[in-house]
Amino acid sequence: MSLHIFGNRLKCLLRDKENVFWTMLFPILLAVFFNLALSNVNAGESFQAIKLAVVNNSSFHNDQALQTALDAAAAGEQKLFELTLTSQEQAEQLLTEQKVSAYLLVDEEPVLVVSKTGIRESIIKSFLDSYLQTTAAVNTILQNNPNNPALLFQSAGERQNYLAEVTGSAADPNNILIFFYSLIAMSCFYGGFWGMREVTDIQADISALAARINISPQHKLKAFLSSLTASYLIHFSELILLLLFLRYVLQIDFGAKSGYVVLTTALGSLAGIAYGAFISALVKKSENMKVAILIGTTMFGSFLAGMMIQDIKYLVSQKFPLLAYVNPINLLTDAFYSLYYYDTFSRYFLNITILGGMTIAFCLGTYVIVRRRKYASL
Amino acid sequence: MQVFKLCLKILKKNIRSLLIYIVLFLGISTIMASSASTEQNTDFSFTKSKARLAIISEESTPLTAGLQQELAKIAHLVALPDEIEALQDALYFRTVSYILRIPKGFSEKIMRGQPVKLHKTVIPNSYSNAYLDLSIDQYLNSARLYVEQIEDLSQEELVQFLQKDLAVETAVEIKTNDRQAAKQTYSQYFFNYLSYSLLSILILGLSALLLVFNNQDLQKRNACAPLSTANVNRQFVLAVLVFTVLTWLVMALLCLVFALKDGFTVNILYLLLNSFIFALCAASISYLIGTLVKSPNAIPAISNVVTLGLSFISGVFVPMELLGKQVLKFASFTPTYWYVTANNRLASLTKFNYTNLQPVFTSMLIQLGFALAFFAVALVLGKNRRLQ
Repeated sequence: MSLHIFGNRLKCLLRDKENVFWTMLFPILLAVFFNLALSNVNAGESFQAIKLAVVNNSSFHNDQALQTALDAAAAGEQKLFELTLTSQEQAEQLLTEQKVSAYLLVDEEPVLVVSKTGIRESIIKSFLDSYLQTTAAVNTILQNNPNNPALLFQSAGERQNYLAEVTGSAADPNNILIFFYSLIAMSCFYGGFWGMREVTDIQADISALAARINISPQHKLKAFLSSLTASYLIHFSELILLLLFLRYVLQIDFGAKSGYVVLTTALGSLAGIAYGAFISALVKKSENMKVAILIGTTMFGSFLAGMMIQDIKYLVSQKFPLLAYVNPINLLTDAFYSLYYYDTFSRYFLNITILGGMTIAFCLGTYVIVRRRKYASL
Repeated sequence: MQVFKLCLKILKKNIRSLLIYIVLFLGISTIMASSASTEQNTDFSFTKSKARLAIISEESTPLTAGLQQELAKIAHLVALPDEIEALQDALYFRTVSYILRIPKGFSEKIMRGQPVKLHKTVIPNSYSNAYLDLSIDQYLNSARLYVEQIEDLSQEELVQFLQKDLAVETAVEIKTNDRQAAKQTYSQYFFNYLSYSLLSILILGLSALLLVFNNQDLQKRNACAPLSTANVNRQFVLAVLVFTVLTWLVMALLCLVFALKDGFTVNILYLLLNSFIFALCAASISYLIGTLVKSPNAIPAISNVVTLGLSFISGVFVPMELLGKQVLKFASFTPTYWYVTANNRLASLTKFNYTNLQPVFTSMLIQLGFALAFFAVALVLGKNRRLQ
């Protein structure tokens, strides 16, 4: 009998093609959008040369060293600046029209004139700081009997790199992954819609279909579990497709522990469905209200887990650690990320244990609300 | 005005669920407000960002002490034990963003002019880390010059020289009132996020409405009524407009509460105007989606794809500067892109003359164009469906 219900339920759910299509497609489409928006962030290749105007006065003319330094920075493929030599009035105008990020006025000392503070302006300032500091060093050396003054200028122009990057763990920390992990977590919790539907279709006071099913001599819990399994199967298959899409089409690296990623997704899907069922059983209001609560909490949870702005995840875990541990979407995101990042499993198991506990709580809650309902009239 | 009243009744029934989105927006904005105020001073301004730095030094010499002292000026030093797990945790939870390891024998190699490397472990893509990289390289490059040129230099002398040289800084002059500019960027965030929430609410509200109206049985019954289709449509559109304006009003008021905290500027008026135009555009997108969608179950998924997708590629969440050219080109076929473009420009404006405002007006016009286009498509599709 259970198998009969399972089979028919599966057919029934799959025939709602619009629903299946959108629940499957929406995380994939979002992943494509994420990938579009974020691919550039990691690559960091499309660095555009910063437009800088220089006031072409006599002081600038006499400062041979500064000219050389600026010219060097404005040449080549990966040039840092795009220079415009101009008069002061014109530089002023270029700045107000936002045609240049800043202009440089050399009097006794170079002064950088900007209209606002930002990334580009800061880069120009860092460049100039570095130039001035090297000049200061050269001047000090010249006052202190240098060995080989001829070589000094050449040597000052060459910069050596004194830093080597080493990774702290098996994998590099990767900011972009947080977005995708929280996307998977959100998709897991969108399974809540399937869970919600299962409750709607088994509670006699909500739908006519449920009233009919309740008349059947089949044990309610068994009927519920069989049809819930059908929902779970569909939802989990959708998630597997999403994982495959992320891995093989968008080429997102999940690290070495792929098996665990699938396992986590399976648990996440279960947690999502249980959550939806619980909300549906708990909220006695209209269908719209249930949907709104489900979307609202899922979106807010995803937001806190760093789906829109990843810094939020760290803000929450630093300032409100409790909130990070009660947010199931954050737990799931964190579980994925710790699989990727840590060599050990301790953090992963912590997350999964709490999430498992929450899933059991949702299931028990649903069970207590749904069981043994009797209706005087419908 | 039966149709109009009916529409408002249907919307009223859904008001509680729509309120959840407003609360959601409020929550997100509050968190953003509390984080943006700290974030802004760190990443994007001349009060050089203070990265959180941990230095693990395997030796203790005057040179390493000097380097530490110099770095302490531009970063918060965090003490961490030299254990793998502790270091991994620190990076994972962002208690530090930069770990610098000074290997044994480092000072000696520097003093002899031999090549040597410090080891860094960092969180990628952080501007504040880039400053640290620059400062460390600057310090050691200057040190190299001294070592090359001056004989019998002691570490103490070197550190003293370097300390003096590195105190030099470029003078910066900011032309506009910078504090004001900083505030406007602040309100720009809220207005950008507004596009996400507003679109979500309108899509969900209007699809709920249209699903009722597009119910075939109801449509047939309504067609019997002694009201001309034009009249029905007029009332319907009026109801949609009223709903849109009300939603916009609520969201804009919330935005104002956040934006006005730092005082009133003319920019805010223009930002409000821009958001109103976007609201019209969002309403026509929602109208189109409502016409297309058949199953209520698909609405959350569609609304999610549309709102989040548009927000991501148009620079609502990820700043436009960080998006690729191709992506932006693609995004320019969406109204959100023009809304955000106008917002970003408005936020940095200080003079409101025609030349400065012209690109903003262009963006607004494009949004209105989108609004008309989506609405027209929706009408054609709706007509087709009725005729079937």
